[in-house]
Amino acid sequence: MAESKNQKRERITDSSGVEVQSALVGEDLALQYPESEEPVVECARLDIPEGAVTALVGPNGSGKSTLLKALSDQLAPAEGQVTLDGRAVDSYGATELAQRLGVLAQERESPGSITVEDLAFHGRYPHRSFFESVGPEDHEAVEHALELAGVEHLRDAELSQLSGGQQQLAWIAMVLAQETDVLLLDEPTTFLDLHNQFTVLERIRRLNEREGVTVAVVLHDISQAARFADYLVALRDGRLYDWGPPTDVVTEQLLADVFGVEATVRYEPELQVLPKRALAEDTP
Amino acid sequence: MARTGSADVDAAATRERHWVTGRLATLCLASVALTAVAGLVQVSFGTYSMTVVEAWRALLDPAVLFRTDVWAAFLLGGDLPPMERRHLVVWNIRLPRVLVGIAAGATLAVSGAVFQAVTRNELASPFVLGVSSGAGFAVLATLVLFSGLAPFLPLFAALGGAAAFVLVYAIAWKGGTTPVRLVLAGIVVSMIFHSLQQGLFYLADDLGAVQSAIAWTTGSLTGADWEQVRVVLLPGTAAVGLSLLGARQLNLLLLGERTAKSLGMRVETVRFGMAAVAILAASTAIAVAGIVSFVGLVVPHIVRTIVGSDYRRLMVGCVFAGPALMVAADVLARLALAPIQVPVGVVTGLIGGPYFLYLMRRRQGMGDL
Repeated sequence: MAESKNQKRERITDSSGVEVQSALVGEDLALQYPESEEPVVECARLDIPEGAVTALVGPNGSGKSTLLKALSDQLAPAEGQVTLDGRAVDSYGATELAQRLGVLAQERESPGSITVEDLAFHGRYPHRSFFESVGPEDHEAVEHALELAGVEHLRDAELSQLSGGQQQLAWIAMVLAQETDVLLLDEPTTFLDLHNQFTVLERIRRLNEREGVTVAVVLHDISQAARFADYLVALRDGRLYDWGPPTDVVTEQLLADVFGVEATVRYEPELQVLPKRALAEDTP
Repeated sequence: MARTGSADVDAAATRERHWVTGRLATLCLASVALTAVAGLVQVSFGTYSMTVVEAWRALLDPAVLFRTDVWAAFLLGGDLPPMERRHLVVWNIRLPRVLVGIAAGATLAVSGAVFQAVTRNELASPFVLGVSSGAGFAVLATLVLFSGLAPFLPLFAALGGAAAFVLVYAIAWKGGTTPVRLVLAGIVVSMIFHSLQQGLFYLADDLGAVQSAIAWTTGSLTGADWEQVRVVLLPGTAAVGLSLLGARQLNLLLLGERTAKSLGMRVETVRFGMAAVAILAASTAIAVAGIVSFVGLVVPHIVRTIVGSDYRRLMVGCVFAGPALMVAADVLARLALAPIQVPVGVVTGLIGGPYFLYLMRRRQGMGDL
């Protein structure tokens, strides 16, 4: 039922009915890994609206990270295509794409002895040619990124000395130094304590508000996503279940269908999800 | 507002420019000092002994230092103009050995450091990845079977090393690879090439060739002269230069494939190109000094513990520390058991092996870089 609703909705509109421009669009996507036989994700149309924060939510294995990889051209779709500002992502050169689209992957590796500032300077990679040394714009971008991410005071600290939350912010500083219009973040709050989760989310929000950066972020926690994002994309078993502003998308039905929990959803004074208990596996 | 902003930027610029840290400078100075002392000992002592001062004088004698015909003979080949005996011993017999040691030390160290970044594997080195044995086989085959092609040794060594490296990667590859699998594949390939090397001895015509070949497979600077310097000069300089230029790319590779890709790096291209540079570096060393073990593995480790894992520093450190270890080890190889000389590879193995053991005991979870 919910899926047929999506098929119809080709364009999104905001609350006053004005059509919203999309920075990233996925059309008729079928995503699969070389080793898998069936597509992991199938989706007729996915929009990441420009200048807004979109949260991708769904249970483990619903295809959120896969979708994010396809959006960032790290996984070529078996069918369909992804466009960034109206152009297919795979038609961009590697450097050109990295100047417009920043990605923060979930699993990352780093030499522990790298400093926060050095890490941020790596974000300038797509803006420098092979032999070019660091210029004044690079310094400005890095300073700005450190400030936005709130890690200025940690600039000389080595990554291995930092807490999980601080490391996360350092990595965010790196993608910010990339100075892209679009930012894709894969589970930036997972494994962080509550305080750091909110710090990260607030910084992302601030970035969106101050710089107008388009953000797509994979989040684990539906109630957090509901309060934080402008748009939600809910995924279930590799299908798009529903998407739109949180007040439209978050329903008790969605929580039952997608997350398998019985919950109460309050819309006044603000959207609030109160999960109660897990539903049995075969409940429709 | 704008002014404070630019002041911030200036301050940041100063900080960034100073990636050369005190520890790096100290390491480089100490390495230069060690190389100089070891080199001076090397040119002073031996069967024709002289005092250090005499050797120093001969070395700095303007009559040699500023003569173009002498340098032409050294660097381009050809006949050496007549010289005093002492000068001949210092300049024509002992100094080239030091220079070849410097070149081999620098290229091996740099090669190991690059391999460690490219494979993201702390255990990687030209020796472990089979490059040494592949290059060694190619050199030996050239010496034994086609001795007329000796001037092209680095080229053949590089081809042999590249073939071995590709083979190792192919064996270790299973939708990705791990440090341990790479090392195991390297051992397998090394053993095969080692057998082939042994087999080649039986094809050699005279015993002298076999003996020099054995010395050569252990890694030896005995008999290194200006011809070896000429062989190593261009490819060695190119390989070291390219490695230094590639330091930033290697730094990014250390952040992992996905991050590097998302920052717009063509990861496969960079990885392949830098591996080629590392193979060239190792092959150059092998072509003139044979298979000197452990230098490529241990020097980057030592340098990393001193200056950290930033490849801009690490590479510079390796270029200085590699020669220091090599030249010092060669002093021991040549003079410790005088009049018997042992191959320098024996000494580096005796130093490097225990150091590596110590590293393994001290650290947990070694392997992934």
